[in-house]
Formats: sequence, structure tokens, C-alpha cells
Amino acid sequence: MIAMTHAGYVAAGWIGTAVLLGGYAWHVVRRGRKLSRQVPASERRWS
Amino acid sequence: MTATTSPRTAAGAPQPADGAAAVPAHTGSRTTRILGVLALASSALLVLYGLVISPPDVEMADSVRLMYVHVPSATYLYVGCFFTTFASAMWLWKRTPGWDALAEAGAEVALVFSFITLGTGSLWGRPTWGTYWTWDARLTSTAVLTVLLIGYLALRRLDLDPGARSARVAVLGLLLVPNVIVVNRSVEWWRSLHQGSTLSRIDPTIEGDMLVALMVGFLALGLVFAWLMIHRFRVAWLEQQADRFDLDEALALRRAEAADATTATAATKGTA
Amino acid sequence: MWRDAALVAGRDLRVEARSRVTLQQVGPFALLVLILFAFALDPARQTLERATPGLYWVTVLFSALLALARSAALDEADGVRDALRLSALEPAGVFAGKALAVAAELLALEVVLGIGVIILYGAEPAGIGLLVVTCVSATAAIATTGTLYGALVSGLRVRETLLPLLLLPVLAPVLLGATRAFEAALGGAPAEGWPWCGLLAAFAVLYSVAGAAAYGTLLEGS
Repeated sequence: MIAMTHAGYVAAGWIGTAVLLGGYAWHVVRRGRKLSRQVPASERRWS
Repeated sequence: MTATTSPRTAAGAPQPADGAAAVPAHTGSRTTRILGVLALASSALLVLYGLVISPPDVEMADSVRLMYVHVPSATYLYVGCFFTTFASAMWLWKRTPGWDALAEAGAEVALVFSFITLGTGSLWGRPTWGTYWTWDARLTSTAVLTVLLIGYLALRRLDLDPGARSARVAVLGLLLVPNVIVVNRSVEWWRSLHQGSTLSRIDPTIEGDMLVALMVGFLALGLVFAWLMIHRFRVAWLEQQADRFDLDEALALRRAEAADATTATAATKGTA
Repeated sequence: MWRDAALVAGRDLRVEARSRVTLQQVGPFALLVLILFAFALDPARQTLERATPGLYWVTVLFSALLALARSAALDEADGVRDALRLSALEPAGVFAGKALAVAAELLALEVVLGIGVIILYGAEPAGIGLLVVTCVSATAAIATTGTLYGALVSGLRVRETLLPLLLLPVLAPVLLGATRAFEAALGGAPAEGWPWCGLLAAFAVLYSVAGAAAYGTLLEGS
């Protein structure tokens, strides 16, 4: 796989995407937890 | 009447008075857990197909592998925008807060995908065309779309009475897809005068393992998109509830203070 | 509705006639931008001449931002919004009136800028018909879109920074179309420019409808 041409660009693109998506996912979940603590359970209509 | 304690100062989630089992404090559910697992699994499959199994392109060599991410993420960018416009229209019709939350989720998730689209697009452009930025139709209109989304989210962050804000935001959201269409069409027309075809267009004769990789890309990113949308929607929903809860609690505190004040005055008057 | 529009347009233009802001501030600003472009792009190397259509329309857009902000600000003064709501004026009429007033100001500005560009950049007018129609349709597009978006940010403290951010990406196709049409006219090939005029006209129609439809909601919502 390292013998791939343009390996740097491909790697940057895929890793960047993973970081962006993962980071955003973590941010959303964290915000969700924080807000969940402030809202009574009755208002949450999932799980 | 005793003053109510603010739930925010309590260490844990406010417990229901009847002692029911504590509900976990997060935006997850069985649906999102299943979705999450599927998303991770298909992402692994994508890595396998995209980076290993599929062959390098005849012309583009290995940079074609960026297309397996770029094309689906551009698609889901548009899907997110569609959610925002649709939800804005529904809000203007029904005026229920759930639609407002959906519009917000759509725009923010779309913004994330727009960065991915721009990033993978320019990283693809560098080895292929020698520059990070080419004014090709897709990159250019995605750049404009990114600014449109940033503007929309900026209007949302304003500190306004929620009723007034929702109306403005809904009108802006409703115009999002029409704006995107107009911008896309005019930019494509413009660039078609200078270039033969769009750079980022995947060769329609794509086949074999490359086609599979692209399909897996659509699947994996689609599942991630859905997972993010659900969680972000719930966050927006919770925010609305928290705002309302804030208001109720503030009112309750005020009433409590007023009650204490009158009992205190009565007490001092009584003892005087 | 058109009576209401005339009423509002009359009011806006009368305010302008008395305060002369467009005349004394926006106009000079527009000419100043033309001058700044000359500083930025060396006049001796013909860049200015080649870029004239684009520079012209960018200048119009920036000046329009000022004119539109002013138009929106007219209704932000104490009680004016409520007065508009309580009056029997149709929101669509108010929208049309404001858009017409701004359009008139912009057209005047474009004439001045046209003269400026001829003098300062040495542009040679050609294809006048196409130039005029482009100006009219682009102005209609800018005025209708800008009036709607002006109402979206009206009354907000961050209005000055938010309006450009919201409006300019939306107007990108207008800049595109108007510039291409001007290029075709000045380059002696007007046939290529008319389709772009069509785009501008369609854009103006789209936002006329959108603005007329949404103005009521926006007036209510604040």
C-alpha cells in the first residue's frame, strides 16, 4: 500500500475525513450528554 | 414554599420522583447503536475496497481513491441541504419545534460534509492537475455552498427571542436549496465555456472493483450521515427543551423568592 | 398592492431625497472603489481594461450592500415595524415598494459608475442595448434579493456583518451573469451575452416572488 502513487494525498484525504467525522461525532455526543443532564428524563423521547 | 434547587447544580441527572430507574443521560438509543455499528463496519469495508482491493485508475493512478470519499460526501452534502430546506418549509407550515431542530441538524452535518468534499477535492486536484484549487464547477459551487451554510448557521446562533429567530431562520433555510441550484447551474454553465468537462466527475464507464468501492463509499458515508443526523437532531431538540426548562425554572425561582419575601415581611410585621 | 408599493417607494425615495445619503456617500464610495482597483491593478498593463466588466459589477455589489443596509435601516427606527404591521399595507406591497426604491437608487449609481468606468478605465461603450438590459435585470435581481435579505437581518445588532455574508454568495450568479453579459457587449459579441441576461431576469423573477411571499412572515416574526 505504501507503494501507492500519490500516497501522501490519498492518506491525507482519508485520514482527514476520518478525523473530521470522528471529531464531529465526538463533539455532538459530548454536547448531547451535557444537555441530557440538564433536561429531565421525561422530555427525552428515545432510548 | 421552599425554593427549588436548580438541577444544574445537582451532580447527576434529575431523578424522577417516583424512583423509576435512572435513564442514561445521552442522545443514544438502540437505533443509533445499531446504525453506529453498521457505519463502522461499512467504513472498514470501504477502507478495504477503497485502499486495497480496487485497482489504481488508468489515468489518475491512486488518487482516484479519493473519489470514493469525495463523490459520496458531495452527495450527502446536498442531502443535508435538502433536509434543511424541507424542514424549514415544514416549520413554516406547521410551526412545531421538531422541524426547526431538523433544519439545524441538516445544515450542520451538511457543513461537515462540505469540508470533506472540498478537502478531498483539492487533494485530488493537486497530483492530477498540479494545483490544489481548480475553478472547476463542483469545487467552486461547493465553496459557495459552504459559505451559504456558514451564513445560515450564523443567523441561528444569534441571541434572539426564539420565536422571531425561528421565522427568519426558516425563510433563510427555505431559500437554501433554490440558492444552491441557481449557483450550481450558473457556475457549471460558466465553467463549461472554458473547460470540456468537470474535473471531479467520475468516469461513467467505471466498473468492477472500482464501482464496488464507490458503492461501499456511498453506503458507509450514508450510514455515518444518518447516525450524525439523528444525534444532532436530538441535541437540537434537547437545546430547545433546555431553553424552555430554563424559563420554567427561572419563573419557579422568582415565585419562590416572591413567596419568601412576603412571608418574611409578614413575619417582621408580626414581630414588630 | 401596487398602491401600497407606490406609497412605500415614495416614502423611501423621499427620505433619500431629504438625506441624500446615496448621492453623497454611496456614490462617492463607488467611485472610490473604482479608484482603489486602479491602485491595485496597474493601469499601464491593460489589466484594468480587460477586467472592466468584473470590476464594474463588483463595485456595484459592494455599493448595493450599503444602499440595501440603509433601506432596511429605514424600518428599524422605533415603532416603524409595528406601524407597518398595524397599517393596512400588504406586506408584498411593502416589499415591492422598498425594492423599487432601492432599484432606482442602484440604477442611478450604475449610470454614474458607467461614466466613471469610461473615463477612468478607458472603456469603449459598445452593444448599448445589451448593456442597458443587463443593468436593468441585474438591478432587479439585486434589489429584490437584497430587500428580502435585508428584512432577514433587520434589527439585529450584527446586521452590518451578517448581511454581506448572507447576501453575497446568493448574488454570486448575478455577478457571474452580469459580468459575462458586459464582456460580450464590450467585446463585440452581444449574441453570447443575451442568455446571461435571461439568467438575470429569471433570478429577479424568483426573488420577486420569494420576497413578496415571505415579507409578511418576516414582518410578523419580529
